[in-house]
Order: sequence, then C-alpha cells, then structure tokens
Amino acid sequence: MGTMTTKTILINEWRLLAADRILRIVLPLFVVLFAYALANGMSWVRFQEHTVQVVRDGNVERTDALERELIAIENGSEPSSPFRDPRAANVMGGARGARSVALEPGPLTALAVGQSDLLPYYYDVSINTNETTFLQNGEVENPLNLMVGRFDLAFVAVYLLPLLVLALSFNVLSGEREQGTLALTLSQPVSARRIVATKLAFRALLVMAVAIGVSVLGILITGSLGSSEPSGRALLWCAALTIYALFWFSLTAWVNSLGRSSAWNATVLVGAWLVLVVVLPAAINIAAGLFHPLPSRVEMITAQREASNDAVSRRSELLARYLEDHPELAGGAVADESNRAALAWAATEAVNQRLEEVSAQHQIRREEQSELVRRYRFLSPALLVQEMLIDAAGTGDARFARFQSQVREFADQWRSFFVPAILAGEKMSAEVLPSIPRFQFVDESLGDVTRRSAVPLSTLTILVGLVSVGAWVGLGRVRGAG
Amino acid sequence: METGPESRMNNESEVATADATQKHAAAADGTSTPVLEARSLSKRYGELEAVAGLDLRVDPTEIYCLLGPNGAGKTTTIHLFLGFLEPTSGSVHVMGMDVADEPLKSKNHLAYIPEQVMLYRNLSGLENLAYFSALGGKESLSTERLSEILVEAGLQPEAVHSRVSEYSKGMRQKVGNAIAIAKEADALLLDEPTSGLDPQASNEFSELLERLKERGVAVLMATHDLFRAKESGSRIGIMRYGRLVAEMTTDEIGHADLERIYLDHMHE
Amino acid sequence: MIRHIVRKEFMDVVRDGRFRWCAALIGALLLVSLGTGWVQARNAQKELAAAQATARDHWESQGEKNPHSAAHYGVYAFKPRLALSFVDEGVDSYAGTSVFLEAHRQNDFLLRPAQDATPAQRFGALTAAQVLQHLVPLLIILLTFGALAGERERGTLRQLLATGVGRLELALGKALGVAAALALLLVPAALVGAAAIVIGSPGPATSPIVRGAVLTGVYLVYFATFIGLSLAVSARAPSARTALVILLAIWVVNGLVAPRVAVDLSKWLYPTPSAVEFTQTLGSEMASGVDGIERPDRAASTQELLDQYNLEKVEDLPINAIGVFLQKSEEFGNQIYDRNYGSLWSTFERQGYVHEALAVTAPLLAVRTLSMGLAGTDVEQHRHFAAAAEDYRRVLVERLNRELTENSRTGEVYLAAADLWSQMPPFQYDAPTMAWVLQNRALSLLVLGLWLAGAFVAVVAAVRRAEVA
Repeated sequence: MGTMTTKTILINEWRLLAADRILRIVLPLFVVLFAYALANGMSWVRFQEHTVQVVRDGNVERTDALERELIAIENGSEPSSPFRDPRAANVMGGARGARSVALEPGPLTALAVGQSDLLPYYYDVSINTNETTFLQNGEVENPLNLMVGRFDLAFVAVYLLPLLVLALSFNVLSGEREQGTLALTLSQPVSARRIVATKLAFRALLVMAVAIGVSVLGILITGSLGSSEPSGRALLWCAALTIYALFWFSLTAWVNSLGRSSAWNATVLVGAWLVLVVVLPAAINIAAGLFHPLPSRVEMITAQREASNDAVSRRSELLARYLEDHPELAGGAVADESNRAALAWAATEAVNQRLEEVSAQHQIRREEQSELVRRYRFLSPALLVQEMLIDAAGTGDARFARFQSQVREFADQWRSFFVPAILAGEKMSAEVLPSIPRFQFVDESLGDVTRRSAVPLSTLTILVGLVSVGAWVGLGRVRGAG
Repeated sequence: METGPESRMNNESEVATADATQKHAAAADGTSTPVLEARSLSKRYGELEAVAGLDLRVDPTEIYCLLGPNGAGKTTTIHLFLGFLEPTSGSVHVMGMDVADEPLKSKNHLAYIPEQVMLYRNLSGLENLAYFSALGGKESLSTERLSEILVEAGLQPEAVHSRVSEYSKGMRQKVGNAIAIAKEADALLLDEPTSGLDPQASNEFSELLERLKERGVAVLMATHDLFRAKESGSRIGIMRYGRLVAEMTTDEIGHADLERIYLDHMHE
Repeated sequence: MIRHIVRKEFMDVVRDGRFRWCAALIGALLLVSLGTGWVQARNAQKELAAAQATARDHWESQGEKNPHSAAHYGVYAFKPRLALSFVDEGVDSYAGTSVFLEAHRQNDFLLRPAQDATPAQRFGALTAAQVLQHLVPLLIILLTFGALAGERERGTLRQLLATGVGRLELALGKALGVAAALALLLVPAALVGAAAIVIGSPGPATSPIVRGAVLTGVYLVYFATFIGLSLAVSARAPSARTALVILLAIWVVNGLVAPRVAVDLSKWLYPTPSAVEFTQTLGSEMASGVDGIERPDRAASTQELLDQYNLEKVEDLPINAIGVFLQKSEEFGNQIYDRNYGSLWSTFERQGYVHEALAVTAPLLAVRTLSMGLAGTDVEQHRHFAAAAEDYRRVLVERLNRELTENSRTGEVYLAAADLWSQMPPFQYDAPTMAWVLQNRALSLLVLGLWLAGAFVAVVAAVRRAEVA
C-alpha cells in the first residue's frame, strides 16, 4: 500500500498548496528572485568576458607594433626612440613588450560571482613582474559594492533558500495538529513519519525544481555546458544546493518532531537560520581576525623599500639609478648600454629575491589563518555551502590561487628567456617574437574541485543524516494528535 | 492490501447484510475473535490512572456505549484502540491483532470520528473525503460514489463542492461521518459524536448508526448522552476513575433505570 | 495612564523568557563586537602609524640624491583608522590602506585586506554596526509583532479599551515599554562604547564624543522607526502570525535584498569602466593629451625659457630647464589624472547616491550610510584621504622640481644635500569634520527622517483604524 498512500498524500498536498494564498505569492516571488539573480550574474560574466577580450587585444596590438618597428629597423629606419629600442632585450621583455595574461571567467560565474569581483583576473607579465605585481587590485569597483556583495544565485541559495524552505514547512506537522486534521489522519493506517516525509519530499521537489531549474537554465544560456568539465561542475553545484536544502528540510522535520506549536517551530527555525547564516559566519570572521591576525601587507611595503634601498646602496651607483629613471635627461652622460642594463638587472633581482622571501612568509601565515577559518566553517552549513558553490562555479579562492601560481611560473619563464639576453647585451629581432614564451592557463580539473568539495559535502551529508535520524526517531513517537 | 477479501465489505448492501449475518452468527457461538477487545488495559499518567484494568469486547453489529463523567477514561480508551497512546499495561486488540504489534494494520479495520471533526479548510468536503478515504485504502472510489456517501451522511448535495471553511460545525461532523462510512471498516470509534449537534442532526446520526450496525460494524461510542446511549446502544458500560463499574445490555434496562443506575454509580 | 501601560508592557517584555534569551544573546554580541572591534582597530592603527613613521624615516635617510630621483623614490601614505572605526568597519576592508606617492603618477590604493581573506569574509564581519543594523530590529520585531494583534486574539484588547484608555495612548505606552526594555540592552553598550573612546581612542578623529552621540541618535531614530512599523503592522494584521510574517519579510528586504539590489542598480545606472580600460584610457591620454590638455613639448619649453631670459644656449640659463619641464609634465599629468580619477570617483559618488536613494525602500541603507560616515569608514572619506594624499604628492613633487630647477643648471649632475629631505614637511592627514560628513549625507538624513515620520503616521493611522475584535 506504500506507494499509493504516498501518492494520496502528494495529491492532497498539491491541492492544499495550490489553494494556499501565501504560497501562491511566495513561490512565484522566488522564481522572480532566482531569475533576477541569474540575470545579474550573466551581466557580470559578459563584463568579464569583454574585459578578457580587451586584454588579449592589447597583447596583439603590442606584438604587432613591436613587429612593425623591428621590420622597419631591419629595413634601415631608426628606432622611434633610442630608449625604447625594441631590439633591446630589456625593452622587448619589459613594459613595452609585456604580455597580459587573463583568467577566463569561471565556468559557472553566472551563478556565483564569488571572489571574482574582488580578486585580480589579469596581470601584465614582463621582466619587471615580481611579488608586488600580485598586490594589485582586481577590477575597478566601488568598495561599497564590494562590501555589500552581489545579488547572485549563490546569495539567493545561501541566504534566501532556507527561508523559503522554512516558510513552506515550519508547520508541516504542527499545523495539522493545530487545525485538528491530525487526529483523523492518524486514525487511518498511515504513520506520522510517512506523512511528514511525503509532505517534505513534495516541498523539496518544488523548491529544488525552482532552484535547480534556474541554475540549469543559467548554465544553458551562458553556454558553459558544452564540455564535460562544466557539466561536472554543474553537478557539483546542484549537489551542494540539494544537500543544503535537504539540511533545512531535515531541520524542519526534526523541529516538527518535537511536537511543539507552530509558533514555537517558527521561532526556533528562524533563530537557527539567523545563527547559522548570519551570526556565526560574521562571528567566525571576527574571531579569525582576532585570534589569528593576518600580518598586514603593510609589512611587505616596508620590506620592499628596505630591499631596494639596500640594493641601490650596494650598487653605490647613484648616477646609474638616476640614468635608469631618466635616461633621456642624461644627455651625454649615457654609460655603456649593456652594462647599465646588467647593473639595473642585478639590483632588480636582489629586490625580487627579498620580496619573494617576505611574500613566502606572508603566504605561510595566510595559509595558517585560512586553514583555521576553514576549520571553523564546519560550524555553519551556510559557510560550507557558500564555499562549495563558488568553488564549483570557478569563482573561489582556489582557482584564483592556481591562476596566480601559473602566472608566477610564466613570469619565471619570461625572465629566463630575456635575462640572459639582457646580461649578454644581445640584440633582438622580429624572428624572436614567435619564440617568446606564451601563457596558457591550465584550468583545474573536475577532480581537483571534487576533492576540495568532498569533505564539506560528506560532512553536510552526515549532518543531514543525523538530523534526519533524529527527526525519524522523534516522529516515531508521534502517535496521536495530543 | 493486508486485509483479506472476507473481512472487507462490498459496496452492495445486500452482500454487506449477508456478511453481517455471518459475523453475527460467528459472534453468537463465541468462537470468533471480537472486533475490538481490551485486556486488563491500563494507562497511567504519573500518579493519575486514566484507565485501570479495563476488560472490554465489542462484536460485530454491536453498539457499545461507554458512559461516564469527564475524566473517566472514555476518550483515553478510544485513543488506546487507535494506537494514539501506548498502554502502560495490558493490551488492546483489533480483529485479534495487538495494536502495539500492528499499529498501522489494525487501523485498516477502524473508522474514527473525533468529537470535533476538523478538516482542511481550503479543500471541499468532497476533496477531504477523497483524501482520508484514500489514506484508509479506498483509492478507487469514484467522485460520484464519494458524493453519494457525503449525501448519505447527511450533507446537502449543494455543499459537497464548497470549501470546508464555509461549513458549520454540523456540516463538518457529517463529513466526518462520511469518512467513516466510506472506509467500510469493521469497527467504528466515536468520541462524543452528538455533543453540540441539534436534536435533528442528532437523530440523523442515530439512523446512520443503525445502518452501519446492519452492515455488521462494531461500534464503540464514548458519550455523556444517556438518552442516545439507551436509544442506539446494544450494550452499555459505565466508567469511573478509569474502571468499568457496570456493564449491561440495553435490552435489560428501561430508560429511567439507566439514569438511576448511572447516578448510583456516580455517587458510590 | 500611559505610565501604567509602559510599566505593564515593560514588565511583560522583561519577564518573557524569549526576550531574555534574545536580549542576552544580542547584548553579548554587541559587547563582544565592540570589544573586538576596538582591539582590532587599535592594533591596525598602531601598525599603520608605525609604517607611516618608517616610510618617513626612509624618506629622510635618502642621503645625497638628485631631487627628482627622490621624487621617484617617493613615499608611502597609509590611511589611518579613525577613532570610531571600531563601531563600524565600513568599506575599510575593501578600499585599500596604502598608496605610493611618486613622481609622474597617481597610483591606486593597494592592499585591500579583503583580498587576503577567505570567501567567508563576504558574509560580513560581526561589528557593532552589524548587530545594531540587523539584529536589534529583529529583536524589536519579536517584541512587538503581537503587541496589538496578540491582544486582539486573546480578547484582552476589548477589555483594555473598555477601561477608557485611548488607542493612541495605548500604542504610545507599548512603544515606550518596548523602548524601555531595549534600553536595558543598549544603554550599557553605549556606555561601553563611550568609555572605549574616552579611555583609549583607537585612532585619531575630530570630536569623537560628539560623533558618537550623533551616531547613537541615528540608531535611536532607526529603532524608533522599527518600533513604529512593527506596531502599525501589528495593529492592522488579521493575526499575530500574519503580523510576524509581514515583519520578517520587511526585515529580509531591509537587511538582505535591498542592499544588494542597490549594488546592481547603481552599477547599472552608473557603470564603472573595467580596470584595463581605465588604464588604457589613462595611458593614451598621457601619451598624447586630450581635449585641450596638451602634452608639453620639451624643446618648446626650453625655447620659452630662453626667450624669457633672452638667451641663446641652454647652458647659459641660470636655472635647470629640465626641472621646469618636469614640473610642466607633472602639471599636465595632474590634469589627466584629475580628469580620469575625478570621473571615476564621481561615478562612485553617484553609485553611493543610488544606495542612499534606495533607502526609501529600506531604512537600513540610510542608517548604514550615516553610520559609516560618522565612523569615518565610508567611500567618501576614503576619497577624502586619497585626495589629501594626492595633494601632498603634488606639493612634494613640485617642491622637489623647484629644488632641481633653482639649484642646478641644465645638463648638470646635481645631488642635493642629505638634510634636504627632512626639510620637506611630512604627510599630515586631518580627517574631515563631522559637519562635512553630515553635509555630504544630507540625503540619508532626510530619508531617515522621512522613515521616522512615516512610521509615526503609519502607527497613528493603523491604531486608529485597528479592529478591536
């Protein structure tokens, strides 16, 4: 008789919900919120894609300009400026020939803006690239807007979805008791467990249909479902969304199983939402900052200063420094070209090394703090899910860190290509251009993302399991309507 | 469906009557199991003994009326039969099944009408009936049949499709009756079925009971209403402080006697 | 009469277990956030002040150097944490803390602390401002949603009004009763906050006590608005449950939905350029000038000087022509920067106005603006600091160019004496006055005032028309 009873309850639920005025308002409202969030995310993706295009066009323009001039020089013309002579390795490998490298928006950025509005997603790589390059800001953005955050699907999912779940089901059992229908229902051969489970399953289907439906729509529209990786990410996204919704459903089931009034249930559930979604994450942020303060980057500036002072004094060549800043002003005082470049490089290298040391120390402490925050996040399902969602979207910290480390490697390649030429005073020609190192971002594999999400996902699954068992046991005790 | 074909009743009333006659015969020779049975049933709430060592049996076509003042344990007894409460000691049986062992199966044989029939306000009487019947295992009843049952239970035909939020208490009670009729259960548990009903509705209810009795249903009814008990009941039990202090068949007593017996027991 | 209502309401609230729990929790969060905010602001300010001193030290110990090399060497400016920033962290985490001041270039603010934090940061930090803006209104809602609807459901409203008490009196009494209960929570927090400023101000500020008092006033208006709204809804809602649902919806819109909608709306109405486009525009304008801002020509500049001194050869000039040209280039660059950064900042400003204007749908937006403003942590005051740093850069570079111009001749290798650097005035930042802040935030003051008036009108209208049974 099992399936028939379930079907009976489902049909009745459908009738009841269809007849409920509040629901007729709330559900479409959520569809609107989801759609709005999606539209927002999509416009951000378009902006980023456009920017990446502009960055790449810049590369082409710079290379073309270099090539034109080099060919012209080979054909006998003079360099446009003796100090910007593209044949010099420190010019071709320096600001003039710099290569801009950009990170494509994460596959599901339209669903979760994540950290992509805050962290830089393009850098200029040249021989001048060093640790300070990575201190640069990301996109031009009003700090106020950064502080508030975006209205994206991840926001709707983390903050508002639980409220929808609570609004739909806070009185799933207590309501029946209060309106007196529970007595008649339980006089039929059906258990409270089955009633609550079916009612919640029905609501979960409704909620997930909206949440996952809009997500999939977004993925389809932004066309990122093409290759296998994004569809794997889409699956992860849906899994995170589902487990989070299930957490809230299991919590409502458990609260309902305690047999208190609807008003009590509502108070407790809204309280739980407030604590888990609003208060705890904010408190964790404060605690992390207080107990594990991050050494500020201010230190790094001071270190950079001291390192370059040191390098300069070791060179004890103030004139060269001056010439380096303004060779065009030196008039007749130009020293031997290659020698000057080599000297300058020696100083740069010394500063870079010192910066790398400071940066490495900073990085260690930063990771310590992140590690602790990552441990705290197990206190709040909202924190766990937010991180899983943006990670699946490709807008989390990990993907940006990966980009940054690949840019570091690329900068190394770049240096090892140009520095020997600088030191040897070699002249570059147009033939060199195609052999200059190129940057190709190797995106993280689905396996990487899945591995990172495995622990949070299984933690939440266990949590949902435990709460559900609690609810199951509690509901088993519900016999009568008293 | 766990219920065997022989214990389920057909819609056709002739067959139902024939079935009932069989059952009656079986009950009379004492070999059959009673529909409802309580054995040394006790329910304690801390110090308070709501039901104390109750032995009770109700057979097919029997209408057993539990009389007693408020707090005598009548409603508790009904809730124990429904499995809403767990006995502290003793046991309750429905068609021979221990309710504690078979909490769901036993309910296949029970219909219940609470004192206040409360329904889903946003659904019509018909939709409510359809839902509860389906939960009770009658998924296949057609809308026409369900409407007939509602009218049989006394609901005006034009009210069948209106929302319950527009119903009076009496109308809700009739939907409750319809739910009980539609289930075609072996036993009917009634908790103060006539309280708050006007005399006409109360009369209609008695007629309904009579029809159900003819179909072979065993009825256990908790009530304050001595007149109804005498009128409809076939046996009467008087409860006080959770105990059955007197038991008699209605054939043995006249109306005036019942009131005297009742009051005597109350003043003991 | 009112006295009795207030008393009864106060007792009722204070004896309510739910109030005790919530109040204890929110009170604790408020005190903890004040304390941690204070410690953090103080540590940050110490570090920034030390860094600023080190930066000056570096500057002064440059030794013999060409003044223009010194201008390239430059100096760092660090944005101080102001006294009240421990109450409201504002945009500090997202705005960058340091800027490099050097010749030829106006640099961006670097080192946004948020960039080093985990994504958890985006949930916001538990500052006193967050507690006051989000949690206290929720407490108010919990205390008042049943104030009238509940009395009506229990039937006590009829009884009350039968005693001859006026409806408005009743509402006022309830409002004051709730206010008195809230005071149990807020007064200690305000005292702790005031003590923190008096005993050990975490950073510099103009008139911190007055700012604190105004800030307190702003929050009180906000709370009064919420009490009014809650009572109005409670009076009109058909049941206490409906009142609660409506009020929670208002709370969600106020605290979660409206602020983020404001972000999108502001970006849609006043889009910001992408960083790469901004840099490209800046670069091309610097290279070739724009709209009547012409890039100075070195030869023309030298010729002009020769004409002025009636000389033929550059070497004969009593001053260094390069110094003059450098200053001209500097002024050209300044115009280009003013143009580009000016338009960026005014885009931010307009975006800020969108947030402020949207406060008509959510009083939180007005309160947040005022709170950040008074705490000195809003975008406008970040801009104020940026402008002060940029002014200092221009003065410094101009002075160094003058040194070069006046003390050397063209083509000469000139090294200034080591004591020159300490003669340059250090960077001194004066935070804006409170009047400046409030002037800029007139719109928010107005909208908040409107909310208070609106809540008052709503409660009067609702209570007058409220059904009794």
